Amino acid sequence: MIETCFEAGLLDSTRAFALAALIGVFFGFFLEAAGFGSSRRLSGIFYFRDMAVIKVIFTALITAMLGLAYLEAFGWVRTEGLHLLPTVYGAQVVGGLVFGVGFVLGGWCPGTAAAGCVSGKLDALVFLAGALAGSMLFNETYETVAPLLSTGDRGVRFVYDSLGVPKSIFIFAFTTVAVLSFWTAEYLERRVAGRGRYLFSPFLTIFSLCLLLVAWAFSLALPPTAGTEASLLAAIEEGEDHIEPEELADRLLAGEAELFLADLRPADEYRLFRIRGAENIELQRLPAILAPWKNRGTIVLYSNGMTHPAQARDALSRIGYRNVHILTDGLGGFIARCLKPASLREEPVSPGTAAKISAWRSYFLAR
Amino acid sequence: MERTQRPRRGAYMNPYVAGIMLGVTLLGSFLTLGAGLGASGGIARAAAYLERLADPARVEASAYFGAWGPRPLRYYLVFMLGGVFLGGALSAFTARRFSLRLERGRACSVSRRVLSAFAGGVLAGWASRLASGCTSGQALTGGALLLTGSMVFMVCVFAGGYAAARIARGQWDD
Repeated sequence: MIETCFEAGLLDSTRAFALAALIGVFFGFFLEAAGFGSSRRLSGIFYFRDMAVIKVIFTALITAMLGLAYLEAFGWVRTEGLHLLPTVYGAQVVGGLVFGVGFVLGGWCPGTAAAGCVSGKLDALVFLAGALAGSMLFNETYETVAPLLSTGDRGVRFVYDSLGVPKSIFIFAFTTVAVLSFWTAEYLERRVAGRGRYLFSPFLTIFSLCLLLVAWAFSLALPPTAGTEASLLAAIEEGEDHIEPEELADRLLAGEAELFLADLRPADEYRLFRIRGAENIELQRLPAILAPWKNRGTIVLYSNGMTHPAQARDALSRIGYRNVHILTDGLGGFIARCLKPASLREEPVSPGTAAKISAWRSYFLAR
Repeated sequence: MERTQRPRRGAYMNPYVAGIMLGVTLLGSFLTLGAGLGASGGIARAAAYLERLADPARVEASAYFGAWGPRPLRYYLVFMLGGVFLGGALSAFTARRFSLRLERGRACSVSRRVLSAFAGGVLAGWASRLASGCTSGQALTGGALLLTGSMVFMVCVFAGGYAAARIARGQWDD
């Protein structure tokens, strides 16, 4: 298992800066080598004249995707170690559309403009100046567009979960789409610009077959749901799926913003008493309501006992949730262990614990 | 006499090989940093830095740049962007592709191309902040991670690009 800078919280360390600079050198080198230091070549994709963008970027994406899938399956890296951007439909749809217009108008995107700039392209320099101004403009317009940043916020979400297909099946299908797009790109180049030199070439044929084989082998290496089930069972064995009442009480008392507490009991019981801060949610509405919290922060489920929360936790795990916990001993346990006055307890209570109990009581029993 | 063993001046790498190498670079970034590639983040940090030189109080009070604190350049993507400049130069010089010019079609005026490049930069710079990433940080990185939002971003980039392709086409007319 590799521990990444992100996982260690060291993304702002000197080591990470040096690594990032080195990675940047390779990134810039291959961008330029691919011909992305030319705005004419980059724009070619929008007129079906030069499809290099599709070929290079889709190949890079599929290579990294397959590499990561295998490394994860072999346990070299885990999802928790990766910085995953949340899905926010409002920001990403509007941002994507405007970015696309900027891309075709300017003939550059930020990374390629940097590579173009150092190969002597003055229009890349102008584009970069524009991008600086655009960033400042965003800062000025931030208040106005801020609502978009929370419109359709779904938290960290994987596309195979969104589509409801197993990961390995999606990977194979996506690789197939990539291979088809390479052949289409070569065909279009031959039709529109009289090029497409890799069409029916032994190179592209072998490359395509290799990609498909690697993607197909992944589905054999990893049966569709085995990964999820195995990690769920491991989490249960380690007790990672539980949260103790005392810990929950402390975190609620501290006002932790990234904590979502769901009460799964019937609504009338919820109205009578609930843990302060809890929301009452019917079981079948759980996935819809929890979506913004998926793999972001901590989700805690509770009921009177532990059976319903545990079953709900398993169901959520199968649709990709990795941050759901159940309250040990349920609401009954919470009351007995946190809210029962120290004076009524049979076991001796240390002064420190007694002070905690009284703080919890005044917070959770406040009317 | 021409030396035949030297690569043709300006010849690009096989796009699929270049793609594999970029993919391996991205994978290396995932394994060491735990984060993918990015370019617009570094540009935005530079913008905050520059604006700070002019009016630090205004930047500190602003909602977006203000959150980056007094030293906005202390961020890994700034260093990555620096690396991109260096690596790009390395490739351009070794392949003897460096040439100082404004790339445009012969029928396109200099002012039109400059205006268009600047306007494109403004839109891309603004939009990459809204979407928290550009073609590198969202489309390529998020795409390889199979994140739903990044896939949606990628589709929208092409939708926006193809929709506006007609008005930008004149720049490349010869």
